[in-house]
Amino acid sequence: MTITDTLAKSRGDLENKLRNLLAKPVFLIELDAFALPCGCKGVTINARGIQYDDIEIFEEHVNKYLKETSEDLEVEPSFLFARLVPGTAEVASLNSRILCNRCYMDFARGTGKMPRPDIYILNFTRRE
Amino acid sequence: MKLYAPHVGHLEGLEELLAGSKDIYGIYMAGTPDYVGTGRTNLSAPGLEEIAEQTEYAHDKGVKMEVVLNSSCMGGQHLTAEGYNRINWYFRELNNIGIDSITVAEPYFVEMLAKDFDMEVVVSVLSFVDSPQKAEFYEALGADTIVIDPVVNRDFDKLEAIRDSVSTDLKLLVNEGCLYQCPFRYAHFNFFSHANGPGPKLNVLDDYYYYKCLSLRISDPQQLIKSPWIRPEDLKEYKHITDIFKIGGRTHFPNWILNNVKAYANESYDGNLMDLLDCPRDIRDLFNIPNKELDGAISQWKQCGKVCNKCGYCKRLAEKIIEVYSTEDGNNVLKPLKTEGGQ
Repeated sequence: MTITDTLAKSRGDLENKLRNLLAKPVFLIELDAFALPCGCKGVTINARGIQYDDIEIFEEHVNKYLKETSEDLEVEPSFLFARLVPGTAEVASLNSRILCNRCYMDFARGTGKMPRPDIYILNFTRRE
Repeated sequence: MKLYAPHVGHLEGLEELLAGSKDIYGIYMAGTPDYVGTGRTNLSAPGLEEIAEQTEYAHDKGVKMEVVLNSSCMGGQHLTAEGYNRINWYFRELNNIGIDSITVAEPYFVEMLAKDFDMEVVVSVLSFVDSPQKAEFYEALGADTIVIDPVVNRDFDKLEAIRDSVSTDLKLLVNEGCLYQCPFRYAHFNFFSHANGPGPKLNVLDDYYYYKCLSLRISDPQQLIKSPWIRPEDLKEYKHITDIFKIGGRTHFPNWILNNVKAYANESYDGNLMDLLDCPRDIRDLFNIPNKELDGAISQWKQCGKVCNKCGYCKRLAEKIIEVYSTEDGNNVLKPLKTEGGQ
């Protein structure tokens, strides 16, 4: 498979899993793989139809599905998070990111699940 | 020195900030956008109960709480009976909560607040106070504190004239990374004010000003030097103007904010100046400006005539010290400005 075929399959698979889990319309409008100049890399899955309550209540399942998607795309699922539309309960995207050393410190300093009000951490693997 | 730090707006972030530093005199955060909104990007919309909880927490730690409602354009809503009543009610609730100060950009709000409430009234950077005359106007409206427009941060004659013209407190924003004399400044803040204020919400295609802001600096990096930031080491040059300094950056993680607090509290930073500036992350990862190599530049800026095409000091300084991050064999390497980025 080409990289785009893999992305397309992962997008569809995750969308189906989330629809079945949440029993409501969920639309993953775009799945992107990225590499940032700071050194961070990963995948961003832009979503519509998911609310903050959905990921909080079904966190264990969403975490598992996102982890599987991330592994399918060969992105180490060390940091999984949802990004909210600022000031709302709307989930803008689900994300798996391999953090660069500098960005890692932004998250490693705290212990909570929301280091910023628009970020909800699903999984954060601390480094030695 | 009284140092005000930005706060993104939720209790978890506040706890982290105040656990991380004892040098914060006050914190500031936005309120909900339902009433006034803010002229900056914003990541939270704390309700009154959350503001009350966080105010109590800050006060327990001996830290002042400031709420920033600095929309630079209300679209006239505040002048309607319904708008006035709604905003007046919100101000009253904030006053009852016991916040220490409230920052506004709209002159009408300065007068409303000064007349009817006990909170310290702070005139926002977004009121663009850049002259003694404008400062006098705001003092007459009832301002207790004026945050001076950073555009005059390197114009000491103006700063001293403002200081001598009013009896209000003065506050300086130290790390704004905006372009000097930015042509987009008013339009961009007005855009944010509508996007982060009471509806209707805009469905914009792209943030034109943001893209231009980045492009201008990528293509002309001397603009990074011309931005009127104040280095931590140079705070001492400003202490005859004021001892109140404000760090910008309400959308950053506590780790970033605490790094700034430490730098400005210690009045020293040995690293990339871009780490401290409140400007888009995109260019933070492109340029390295070794802060210590800017030692002494303040002497030039203190006597600067602001005629760049005749002077050229900032351009020469940029060419001398700015480095560009580049990728070689998968690794980040630094290269002199002249060889990268189309320079």
